[in-house]
Amino acid sequence: MRERKWVQEILLYSIVFLLTLPIFILLIWSFTKTWPWPDLIPKDVGLRGWRYIIDPHTKILKILCFSFFLSLAVTFVTLLVSLPAAKAIGQHNFKGKKAIQIFILSPIIVPPLAVAMGIHVKFIQMGLADTFWGILLVHLIPCIPYAVRILTNVYEALGTRMEQQARILGANRLQTQFHVMLPLLAPGLVSAGSLVFIISFSQYFLTYLVGGGKIITLSMVLFPFIESGDRAIASALSLIFIAITLIFFLLINKILRTHLNTQDYFYL
Amino acid sequence: MALAQSLGYFPVVGLRNITLFYYREVLRDSSFLTALAFSLYTSFVSSLFSVGIGVLLSYLLIQKNNSEKLVSIFYKLPIIVPHTVAVLLMLNIFFDSGILARLFYHLDLIQDSSQFSKLVFDKRGFGIIITYIWKEVPFITMVVYTVMSKINSKLADAAANLGANRRQIFIHVLLPLLLPTISSAFIIIFAFSFGAFEVPYLIGPTFPKALPVMAYINYIHPDMTNRPYTMVILMCITFICILLTMLYTKLFNLILQYDR
Repeated sequence: MRERKWVQEILLYSIVFLLTLPIFILLIWSFTKTWPWPDLIPKDVGLRGWRYIIDPHTKILKILCFSFFLSLAVTFVTLLVSLPAAKAIGQHNFKGKKAIQIFILSPIIVPPLAVAMGIHVKFIQMGLADTFWGILLVHLIPCIPYAVRILTNVYEALGTRMEQQARILGANRLQTQFHVMLPLLAPGLVSAGSLVFIISFSQYFLTYLVGGGKIITLSMVLFPFIESGDRAIASALSLIFIAITLIFFLLINKILRTHLNTQDYFYL
Repeated sequence: MALAQSLGYFPVVGLRNITLFYYREVLRDSSFLTALAFSLYTSFVSSLFSVGIGVLLSYLLIQKNNSEKLVSIFYKLPIIVPHTVAVLLMLNIFFDSGILARLFYHLDLIQDSSQFSKLVFDKRGFGIIITYIWKEVPFITMVVYTVMSKINSKLADAAANLGANRRQIFIHVLLPLLLPTISSAFIIIFAFSFGAFEVPYLIGPTFPKALPVMAYINYIHPDMTNRPYTMVILMCITFICILLTMLYTKLFNLILQYDR
């Protein structure tokens, strides 16, 4: 019995080790100047990768800010669109609800490649290709399903009782939404928002196709470096990428935890 | 839009006849069939391994009874890493000059980097498969772990009381209960890896190409009348994915039954 526990423990830690190891190698690479074959540790440590990022000629910091802003905008619009949809699905029963639900969730399964290539010509005709708004719109495609799904769950858990109570106590529609529903929805909004941000932030193909090379985001800067194989720069860029998404991921975790603690109190 | 174009209706470049010609053409093309087979094969193998390792990992985590906070954070790391970066990570390890090749050199297994057998950009799609496995194991683990932690204690204890050993509990009690979850997770990752373009483009072999890569290469072809071919390929991808979605919703209802 004890021996079996021992085996299990080794198995567990080795799987987790194998899952995290590549990220540590990435970390080492980003601080590497030269690392010739067949050394197991880098020969020269340097900040070449990081210097490239800070260098104003490469405009990486500017692009980083732009990507960040774009993803924030996508997140905001997604939540704005998803809220009413989620409310309708979560709180009301109507004819054809199942069909609409499947229809909204379908972009998760149908590959974005097909959607993007199909919509590209229409975008060019409408003058949306190569513009900020075009990118914003096309990013909504993979984002909305996830947001609607999470927010639907929240609305389902909330029910209509709180809203009704507020109305009975004399609040008008606006007051109900702002002072009662918004605080109740906040944790759900944050977790949906973080997920949407991550999806939008790591989107490569949609940006590439619809942006036509004129709109550049961080994942587009990264792509050619992975292709051409400048490891130091690619690693440093990747680390920034991971760091930003990690921050958002931790944010979800933290807020979900407080969310769970207050759940018993709010969701009767 | 894509459907119309795949049928040959593409007024922008003067194609107006609705026809199944392109479908016949593409479906008869041998390079399309190899690409289809290659895509199905890499997606299937990677999803299968991901599910296997993911279920094992979540089982091991359950056995540890949540005592490891750090482990549960660490194993989720690959989820937030974008696929493009995941490719870079795998290149760092499995490339001719990657860590693994260096390790082999120091163990005197090989004398030169060219002797290291091709693991990425290879015809068997090892690079694509390993990248997807790395990305998807944590996802499977997270999903399965959540469901497993709901059902674990009572039923497993009851089975143990009735004299079942650990393996029997796992195979006869836990696995049947988890099956709907596992299969729906399998379908999600299968559909994703089947339709995604980045990974096979970056780490896959030049031949055989994965289906999405083939669609992309046709898409950027300067001759616009080539476009319907792309759309046919895309429609095939979409069709397979929709088929999977239908399966998925069926399974989803099954899960809901178990939940009640």
